[in-house]
Amino acid sequence: MIDRQIPQERLELLWILAYGAALLFILRLVNLQVLNAAHYREIAEKNRTQVIAQASPRGRIFSSDETAIATSKPSFSLIYFPGQARTNAELDRMARALSRPLSADYDALRKSIYRAASREKPVRLAENLPPKIMLSLSELKAVYPGIDIIVEARRYYPFGPYLSHLVGYIGKMDAKDWSALSRDKNYSMDSRIGKAGLEKMYEKELKGKDGGIYLEVDSRGKLNRVLESRKWVPGADIFLTIDSKAQAAAEEGLAKSATGKGAVVALDPRTGAVLAFASSPDYDPNMFVLSGSEREGLPPGKILPEFNVALQGSYPPGSIFKIITAAALLESGRVPPSEKFHCPGWYDAGSRVFKCWEKRGHGDISFIDGLAKSCDVYFYHTSQRAGALTIEKYARAFRLGRPSGIALPDERSGNVFGPSARAAKKSYWFIGDTLNLAIGQGETLMTPMQAAGEIAAVANGGTFHKPYYVNRIVRSDGQFLYRGRSLAISSVQLKDSTWALIREGLRSVVSEGTGQAAKIQGAEIYGKTGTAQNPQGKDHAWFVAYATVGDQPAKIAVAVLVEHGEHGASAAAPIAKAVIEAALRADLPARKAAPAPRVPAISTAPVAARAPVISTVPVAARGPAVSTFSFVSLSPAVPVIASTQPAPGGAI
Amino acid sequence: MIFTPQAGLKKSRMDWVLFLSVLLLLAIGTVAVLSSVAVLPAQARIVRVQFMAIPLGLLAFAAAWSLNYQIYQDQWKYVYAILLIFLAGVLFFGVMDKGARSWYRLPFFSIQPSEFARVGLILVLANFLDKRIGKIKELETVLGAFALCVPVFLLLIKQPDFSAILITFPVALIMLFASGASVFHLSIILGYAFISALFPVLWSVITLNPELLDNGLVNYFFRLSDSGWSAASFVGLTAAGAWALWRLSVKLYANVTGVYFAGAALVLILGFFSGVMVKNQMKDYQQKRLEVFLSPETDPRGAGYNLLQARIAIGSGGILGRGVFSGTQSRLGFVPERHTDFILAVVGEEMGFWGMLLVTGLYVILMGRIMQGARLARDRFGYLVNCGIFAMFLVYFCINFGMLLGFAPVAGVPLPLVSYGGSNMVATLMALGIAESVYARRYALV
Repeated sequence: MIDRQIPQERLELLWILAYGAALLFILRLVNLQVLNAAHYREIAEKNRTQVIAQASPRGRIFSSDETAIATSKPSFSLIYFPGQARTNAELDRMARALSRPLSADYDALRKSIYRAASREKPVRLAENLPPKIMLSLSELKAVYPGIDIIVEARRYYPFGPYLSHLVGYIGKMDAKDWSALSRDKNYSMDSRIGKAGLEKMYEKELKGKDGGIYLEVDSRGKLNRVLESRKWVPGADIFLTIDSKAQAAAEEGLAKSATGKGAVVALDPRTGAVLAFASSPDYDPNMFVLSGSEREGLPPGKILPEFNVALQGSYPPGSIFKIITAAALLESGRVPPSEKFHCPGWYDAGSRVFKCWEKRGHGDISFIDGLAKSCDVYFYHTSQRAGALTIEKYARAFRLGRPSGIALPDERSGNVFGPSARAAKKSYWFIGDTLNLAIGQGETLMTPMQAAGEIAAVANGGTFHKPYYVNRIVRSDGQFLYRGRSLAISSVQLKDSTWALIREGLRSVVSEGTGQAAKIQGAEIYGKTGTAQNPQGKDHAWFVAYATVGDQPAKIAVAVLVEHGEHGASAAAPIAKAVIEAALRADLPARKAAPAPRVPAISTAPVAARAPVISTVPVAARGPAVSTFSFVSLSPAVPVIASTQPAPGGAI
Repeated sequence: MIFTPQAGLKKSRMDWVLFLSVLLLLAIGTVAVLSSVAVLPAQARIVRVQFMAIPLGLLAFAAAWSLNYQIYQDQWKYVYAILLIFLAGVLFFGVMDKGARSWYRLPFFSIQPSEFARVGLILVLANFLDKRIGKIKELETVLGAFALCVPVFLLLIKQPDFSAILITFPVALIMLFASGASVFHLSIILGYAFISALFPVLWSVITLNPELLDNGLVNYFFRLSDSGWSAASFVGLTAAGAWALWRLSVKLYANVTGVYFAGAALVLILGFFSGVMVKNQMKDYQQKRLEVFLSPETDPRGAGYNLLQARIAIGSGGILGRGVFSGTQSRLGFVPERHTDFILAVVGEEMGFWGMLLVTGLYVILMGRIMQGARLARDRFGYLVNCGIFAMFLVYFCINFGMLLGFAPVAGVPLPLVSYGGSNMVATLMALGIAESVYARRYALV
């Protein structure tokens, strides 16, 4: 080689440098492309796809006669796809332009648009858009790329507050819900979930599977093509045991009552199925579906009377407790039913004079009349013979102090009052306590649900069923997920003669005694009024009853409480009558139409005609603007709106 | 394979290994460019230019190969003059594009003179170093070499085309190093360049972390670039510090000449002034690129976003790639500059790890063959020319790969032969033709 006066080792050094650099790059490439390929692949996929989730229709809720109590209806939402190349000024202009037709706050709108832009996630700017602003919105859509309108299913309760305390409501997730559900792929941040009642208890079944449009977008967020349009799967339908007519009668009765507060529980004594479940005040669950702006202007405070009187209200039972006292008297064997006691209108207990509710007195009175006329003095006399312990024993047998076991949250269990309960509190029992116990005053407390259980047990001969309200749950493909079953949980053992005497007494209550307001032509009503004294205010009105038609076993037992209703006979009994009439409408001789004023549409909504709501609201009927709601402007080949429509007959 | 002495004894006029590598790189690059521009609005023009540049480049390669390279040494003055005239002319006749005046617009295509200037400068420098080889250890040689570069650099700054300087400066350094220049002199130059780059970098770091300004010293340092007074105080302090250190070394009987202290102070001061100049010359987007290199997460939607998306593209390719023409990252526009500077992101996404390995391997073979040409060259000039061309490829290779893989800032440097770019491709192929010319004439007697 020619001598060039040049050190060769420098060449070697440069050469090592090139090799070293290549080696370093290859190592880095191994790290990126071999070891972490899956990670980057995932990011790349996320980069190019945007999903517009479409909330699936929740399962519908039907009464036993297949009236839809909760359904879904189509709702139009305005969404915004963030793109890359948008300046803040452009976003501001868009927010300003949108705030007018949406009548939304500019700053709030701007904030959510900014957030969407920084997170690169589509966002719902407004939900449940009224048809009249569609036109102006679709005009803006052309000016500001990235905004679009989609159709979704939205919970709808056609009868508003009807059965609200059982059905519950849905709402947005709070932090706690989100941490519980965030792993479930079926839920997203803005999913709505059941927050109370049935909607909460059966969230999993009702939810269904959200659909979604998977879009390929380019780096500027511009729609490239639709990758996949996944159809939603509607949630499972729940059929309740509730009789819609009886329920309507119950709610109507409570609404019309003196105070408008109270509860009605009707059970099928043969099974424990809940036929009516009303609690007043109630609420309109549709309120919770509304988005923020829609809720504005509604009266504040009227939104959440969540207190469920039927389950959570504990009241002194008053005279309806006398059924239990009567059972104790007869079972004790110490009180012959024919023995008469004199009622002058008061009873001298030595230290204190106890009054009968009838100041003039009932004169000489025996068991049947004593029960029928609810003579307090008769029970003062006899209870002392039978003994307070016996009465307490039967109060426990009739499940006071124990919850009924219905599958609803926060049920109260009332309170047992008696010598042993008193002894457990290390206190004394006085004779006056016995007298109070006998007539259902003192510390005895009952919920309307327990009262219904009590009268149902009388009707069926002593069996307590676990009350249930779900008859069956049917998936959208027709598969049964669940069937409600009758479950006996305890029973009261009484002699046949005792049952006969009590029933005779209850029959007399309605035929000639205090409960005549509940009389129904063609049916035999067995009832008991109750007027519970209440130190805080006016007396609470109770009425418990069951009815038989002919020789058939009783099909309905009902308990009515009207808070501060004063008289069971006048305030509560008519409600019970209306409920029984409605429930037995098929068995009773033809009469004027049973009152069902709050649910006018019921009779015209047979289950076969549960046509999907979306298809019965023709899109075209919403004005010409609707026809441009597809993504047509973005991608002419894909008529997305068509694919988001449920298949004919599909449930929404 | 690359260093076998037998290779040089074969009488082939053409290095077929090199030529095959070039063709393969061109093929990979063309596929990647076609894929990445498929959705661009300028698709037709880019495809046309690409398919025009390849034959033109091969023609330039053939021409340069057949021409005896020694003519460049003879006529170096003309080479240098043409180079300067073209660079100066673009300032007057060039068209403005993306904030830089660096293109001659011709009826069918545009020419970027700086691409050809870097090849011309290699020839001029090779001649200079060849002539000065006897005095190569003297500082004057190093300074003379850079004196040749300075007019070119100034013209490039005027455009401005920082990327060309970024390539040419290291090439000049490597050529000096290869020709045996004193490492001490080179480190002075390198130190000067380092300091003039360090100051803007430090200032950028401070801009990124304003809380650092609470420190008084940092605050003083930050304001150095602002006013003449603080600059003067810096010069004074540096000079005083160097003098004090020198006096100290005398007192300690350390056997160090004062020249070193004076030199260090001078380098620091000169570097500082160049740094201020660089900072003031830097365009906003260049400032941004520097910041992103220093902290890529600060601006995920801006310049850092580009780098991140390119990395996602490469990573998502996996071992086998997503298939040619089916990379989502590049085709949907997530990777910016994907047909030019970030072409490797497309290769990585669509052809996977094997594709990247192939490109890297071909580059290493290419550099090895150019270096082999240098070893076998018949004269020192040929050796130096090939060293310069090797250095050019090395610098492109390191900066482009390094930028993509996160070792270097996003610098807007393409990958020759793979990236789209007409002038770059023709100039690169011409340089390779010159290297081949050196190889073909490796025997003195031929």
